[in-house]
Amino acid sequence: MQRRAFLQSLAGVGLLAALPLSIHRSMAQTVQAMSVEQLPPLKGDLTLYLGRGEGGLYENVLNAITKRNPGLNLQIRRGASAALANTLVAEAQAGVKRADLFWAVDTGSIGMVTDAGLAKPLPKDLIGQLTPGFQYPQWVPVTGRVRTLPFNTQKLQANQIPDDIMALADSDLSIGWAPAYASFQSFVTAMRILEGEKATTNWLRGVSRHAKSYAGELGVVMGVERGEVDVGLANHYYTLRLKAGKPNADVDLAFTKNDAGCLVNASGIISLSDTDLTTNFMRYLLSHEVQSYLASEAYEIPLVDGVAAPSALPALADLSPPEIDLRKLADMRPTLKLMREVGVL
Amino acid sequence: MKVRIVSAALALALGISAGSVSLPVMANGEITAQVNNLNEHISTYEEEVRWLINKYSGVVNQYQQGDKDVRTQALVDHWEEVNFHEAIETQYVPVYALIWQGIYGVKNAIDKDAGTDVVMAEQQKLHASLWQALGAVKLAAHYQQKGLLDKVRTTEKEPTTAPEVIDDIDKRLNKVVAKYAEQLTEVAMSLVHDTYLQRFEGIEGALIEQDAELVEDLEKDFNVTLPQALKNKGSVDDVRAVIKDMQRKLARAKSLLEEAEKNRKDVF
Repeated sequence: MQRRAFLQSLAGVGLLAALPLSIHRSMAQTVQAMSVEQLPPLKGDLTLYLGRGEGGLYENVLNAITKRNPGLNLQIRRGASAALANTLVAEAQAGVKRADLFWAVDTGSIGMVTDAGLAKPLPKDLIGQLTPGFQYPQWVPVTGRVRTLPFNTQKLQANQIPDDIMALADSDLSIGWAPAYASFQSFVTAMRILEGEKATTNWLRGVSRHAKSYAGELGVVMGVERGEVDVGLANHYYTLRLKAGKPNADVDLAFTKNDAGCLVNASGIISLSDTDLTTNFMRYLLSHEVQSYLASEAYEIPLVDGVAAPSALPALADLSPPEIDLRKLADMRPTLKLMREVGVL
Repeated sequence: MKVRIVSAALALALGISAGSVSLPVMANGEITAQVNNLNEHISTYEEEVRWLINKYSGVVNQYQQGDKDVRTQALVDHWEEVNFHEAIETQYVPVYALIWQGIYGVKNAIDKDAGTDVVMAEQQKLHASLWQALGAVKLAAHYQQKGLLDKVRTTEKEPTTAPEVIDDIDKRLNKVVAKYAEQLTEVAMSLVHDTYLQRFEGIEGALIEQDAELVEDLEKDFNVTLPQALKNKGSVDDVRAVIKDMQRKLARAKSLLEEAEKNRKDVF
């Protein structure tokens, strides 16, 4: 009910109607998400390196998989995604292999491991389950999150917000951002790749003149809702979760078009062992049940066909994210250098 | 399972760390096997506490006798020498913080040339915290022998559920007071920052669905109130008060998240 009300509010300000159908991804190449009922039982030993994630929801998924598959002996090592990626690379350099799978919350960590040549190629039928644009030969995006512009509904209407992220720097809007936050840095990396260093530097300088910094992106969304700033830069799910807890919150979402401002980033999993067991484990994560669970409970965007996005969010096909190889977002060092030079870090 | 519940209840009653205690970095370097075998070392700890009190009394007496060259750094050095230090740091961080607070209470009073009544009042508090610590370690040893306390680990264990994350935040906040009392303000600041990013940030999305105002309060505590209390160099009691207030809010957050988890739908 709360989510429906939020959807109605989005429609009410004309946002849904205004969203371009600029993604013309061919759905013909995808197959419908499979049910776990169609999947083979998992039997044997698996070691998973799990990046710290959504407050226990990934743990719930793993518990459900192990409960359903009593023959599976799943060992889990937990930590920050970037730290685990470094560990995997270091282990490989030392000639040690402890992990069969790596489930990371960000594509930067995925890129580190694939760049080190540790990821095993995946079968085409598995890749084919994913939405076109999110099909990669060596890793499986599990769920997505889109960059958004949460705005204060007491101060603004959706049509007052630029649909070009670069135009935000020259606007009169006060902006909330979280420069130290990993998702924000991935977004700036995408901008750097798409627009170049000079344009990104100018954008950071321009926005910083009317920006207020927050520690994290939930803080950004809450700052927007309180009216401390007009508009923010944040992943979509913070606003959805705030609206779930506070349905009358003075915040809605706006989206830019075909630029880093509406980047769809993803969590992802890599197989480090070339076995049916690792592949089949990944099939469970792409199952209709797991994808639906993560969409409804974590507000993440399903990346398989036939599973609905969180109800308060436009369908993926109705968004217009830029074309970018998400693994390139691992190239964070030039971004941090640039942000330091501009003085936003 | 039953043992675990008893362990938690005892710990709650006694204020001793139940569950897996992870302390990868200690004030005096790596922890030793002693902390998992407290009972064998109780007599040593008792001797150390008496030795410390004797040493501290010596410093205070020297000051009372008008010796201007009294070396107050010895108060810190003596505490860092004893094995009892790691025993209390691993078992009951709040009293560990009180000891540091007491040491610097005496040290600062002497360094600032305070009256002997002020110095003696600080000394009393320090001695009381040392005895309190010895009591806590003895109780911990007792329950450790009965197998009711988990081992102290040398590597960090990641919490896997939201209530576990909140328990971990609670312990980290106790360490913030301890580090501040130890006058390691930068370490305390880093601990707050890391606790926010590595722990609180992971659960606040789920929490905001339950109580948006509570998240707002805790966001402000983590990012404004507590860092300012540390930066402003207020008293240890001021910092402890901020943290106690946060811990009350976190207790409410824990019960909300436990309830939410009960109502969460199944994956399959």
